[in-house]
Amino acid sequence: MKVMRDDLHALSGSYVLDALSEPERESFERHLQHCSSCEDEVRGLRETAARLALAKALDPPPQMRPRVLAAAYRTRQLPPPGLVDGERRQARVTWLFAGRPRGAQRREQRRARVPRLAAAFAAASLVVIVALGITQAMTRHQPGTARTAGAAISRIVTAPDARTDTMRTSAGGTVTVVVSSGQQAAVVSATGMRSLPSAQTYQLWVIGPDGARSAGLLSGAGRAGPVLAAGVVPGDRIGITVEPAGGTSSPTTTPVVAVPV
Amino acid sequence: MRRTAIQQLRPDPGPAEDTDRDPDLAGLLARVARGDHAAFELLYGELSGPVYGVVRQVLRDPAQSEEIAQEVLLEIWRTATRFDPAKGSPAAWALTIAHRRAVDRVRSESASSRREEKAAPDLSEAPDDVAEAVAATLDGQRVRRCLDGLTELQRESIKLAYYGGYSYPQVARLLGVALGTVKTRIRDGLIRMRDCLEVDW
Repeated sequence: MKVMRDDLHALSGSYVLDALSEPERESFERHLQHCSSCEDEVRGLRETAARLALAKALDPPPQMRPRVLAAAYRTRQLPPPGLVDGERRQARVTWLFAGRPRGAQRREQRRARVPRLAAAFAAASLVVIVALGITQAMTRHQPGTARTAGAAISRIVTAPDARTDTMRTSAGGTVTVVVSSGQQAAVVSATGMRSLPSAQTYQLWVIGPDGARSAGLLSGAGRAGPVLAAGVVPGDRIGITVEPAGGTSSPTTTPVVAVPV
Repeated sequence: MRRTAIQQLRPDPGPAEDTDRDPDLAGLLARVARGDHAAFELLYGELSGPVYGVVRQVLRDPAQSEEIAQEVLLEIWRTATRFDPAKGSPAAWALTIAHRRAVDRVRSESASSRREEKAAPDLSEAPDDVAEAVAATLDGQRVRRCLDGLTELQRESIKLAYYGGYSYPQVARLLGVALGTVKTRIRDGLIRMRDCLEVDW
């Protein structure tokens, strides 16, 4: 059965309640991949459906617990989405957390000459505005901020004009940047970078024609984000440097990666 | 215990979630993804009630419900590594798996008569019998109050689809209304529920 687009949109409620037939579910999921407003709606309705479930919570029979735990500990967990899986996955939103989008490898090869950015750093007059640098460590003490950031982050990764780029860093691992020109912001996450001694930290920068401004600190553990960088416009670059713990007001080392926006 | 799970769905869980005694679901899930047994036991405490509750709501049969709930919780263990916080809360993720599994079981069994006999379309008796005790909780009351705020057609469509595990064409047949009507009532009703429950995602 051929379903028209408006009809598809109206299926969001039935989709969330698992009330669609298998073919309808599949066509709705295909539709979801390029309809970010539908994605938003589905997310909200799914949370709502979960409330319907929570209202019916019921203690399971006590014998279930040892069975589940024993079965779990005999069961190997799926590997986290890594290089191979990251390439297979198609949904834009998952890229950020899943690793590298398809084609990333080719782009990396093209952009392998990272250090040319060091010149930009050195030459620039560095006006530093810590506009909106939110690391996971910081948010732990600021739940309000974290939530705002969470909403802002999902707005960016689901923006219709969001683009994703993944590059290797010279500190190992990769950094993934999702940019929305419309939102003038980027979301950055890094994984697999080498761990730093406690006296050092990774610092995130937005580098424009007027220099570099800090967008916050990243965990020295080499895995960080997602972190929101605001005030990003086309032509800027997103860079990461190694700095003394606590960060600096301007970059003091050659960036381990610089991603053109 | 359940209140913690519910709080995960709320926009503002407050700052007191960092202690070991009251760990947040997302944090637990991250530890579970790293194979942490203790974290999984805590997560079981948080999620087994809602998971079993919703599965039982759909399937009715205690033995089948237990079997499916076990599968779901094992699935949560196995796929914790794939949980994507951009797509929703941990509780919604887990309960989506649970509901879908229960519905899959219903659909795969629809040829057999077992469930059809039990699932007489008597709406007044609809699936509320199971969880009387829990409906008395504040959160249950809140959901019920919001359901009461819907039109009858919206409410019955949602209850039959979600708690009853019926497809929307089946719901249309049971309620004697057009397919398109059910589709839009379910969506409109859920949007109203979302706003009434102040779900912010």
